[in-house]
Amino acid sequence: MHVYIYDEYLNKAKYNKAINRMEIRLTDLGLNGKIIRLGGIKNIKGTIQNEIRLGAKTIIAVGNNQTVNKIIGSIIDTEIYGDFQKKTLLGIVPIGDDNSIATSFGIKNEEEACNILLARRVEKIDLGLVGRHYFLNQATIEGLGTTLEIDDFSLELMERGEVKIINLLSDPKEKIISNPHDGKLEVLIRTRKKDQTLLTTKKIKVISSRAKLMVDGVIELDTPVEVGVMNNKISVIVGKDRLFE
Amino acid sequence: MFSKDIKVERFKDAETIIGASIKVKGNFQGQGNIIIEGALEGSLKTEANLFIGDQARVVANIEAKDAAVNGEVRGNIKTKGYLAVGASAKIFGDVQYGEISIEKGATVNGQLLTLGEDHRRGEKNKVEEKETETSK
Repeated sequence: MHVYIYDEYLNKAKYNKAINRMEIRLTDLGLNGKIIRLGGIKNIKGTIQNEIRLGAKTIIAVGNNQTVNKIIGSIIDTEIYGDFQKKTLLGIVPIGDDNSIATSFGIKNEEEACNILLARRVEKIDLGLVGRHYFLNQATIEGLGTTLEIDDFSLELMERGEVKIINLLSDPKEKIISNPHDGKLEVLIRTRKKDQTLLTTKKIKVISSRAKLMVDGVIELDTPVEVGVMNNKISVIVGKDRLFE
Repeated sequence: MFSKDIKVERFKDAETIIGASIKVKGNFQGQGNIIIEGALEGSLKTEANLFIGDQARVVANIEAKDAAVNGEVRGNIKTKGYLAVGASAKIFGDVQYGEISIEKGATVNGQLLTLGEDHRRGEKNKVEEKETETSK
């Protein structure tokens, strides 16, 4: 059984057309399933966990990065995770802005997402972890005044710029190799002087007196905070144009 | 691996790059190629190749397979293979190498010590043994 989780913001009229297009396409492909609208639900975690217990084959996030993160947060490190890992896949139908996770998976729009759900191309991928929050794409922070501690050494930025801690690449123009199966994070630093720093690590501590760490563009966290990665933690349905091997 | 015709050029494939606006403190270790364009204090070690850019300032003992130095290094350098010292390099420390080239204009303030043929042969045998074990 497919379970479609519609995010709360999709109640707005401007998304009606996109939702209609998606629902028509799903019907054409025979992929109909149960629809859960987060707008009217207080216990999101309980609702999603219950669907997995009832035997959902696919949980599909209809919305944006935040929708995906809500679903992942409801599953990982809970008693239902074992069932989810064995039986359930995660799919995404992107609607609206802030859909970098879908871009990483090679999903451009809602209609293409339906075709990708039908093709059912599955990849196991790593999950980034910051404190108690999970992320698929990246965590970012302003560079100046930020110190990064890795293993036995620390990095300090002497210029303004941006630090990206990447699990899954979301920008096709970025010319770095990021592998979401290797149990490692890429740390990419670009400064105003246009110099680039790149390294890989399993764990990193971020310390900043000025800025907050932004996780997948939706959660802001105070520092110091540790960022780690969990290897092959989640099975997702991806498109053939995904931004990783 | 550095081509001997382009002795002190930056290589294209590096697992780790430290940009010019970055200051690293501590024991920095890697298994792949490393490029340093910024500042580093502590120690620097890699099983692979190392490139130190002309604006880089390194206060550390360095160990690498092959290395190209163009910036300032205060500390000892040990390369099992080839060490290329560029014209803008300033080295204050002892240097141990398998093979070396030094461009006109470079400063080296320290002892130059060739790793003996025995040492190099030993390192080569170790690599071959490792490869044989892996293929088994």
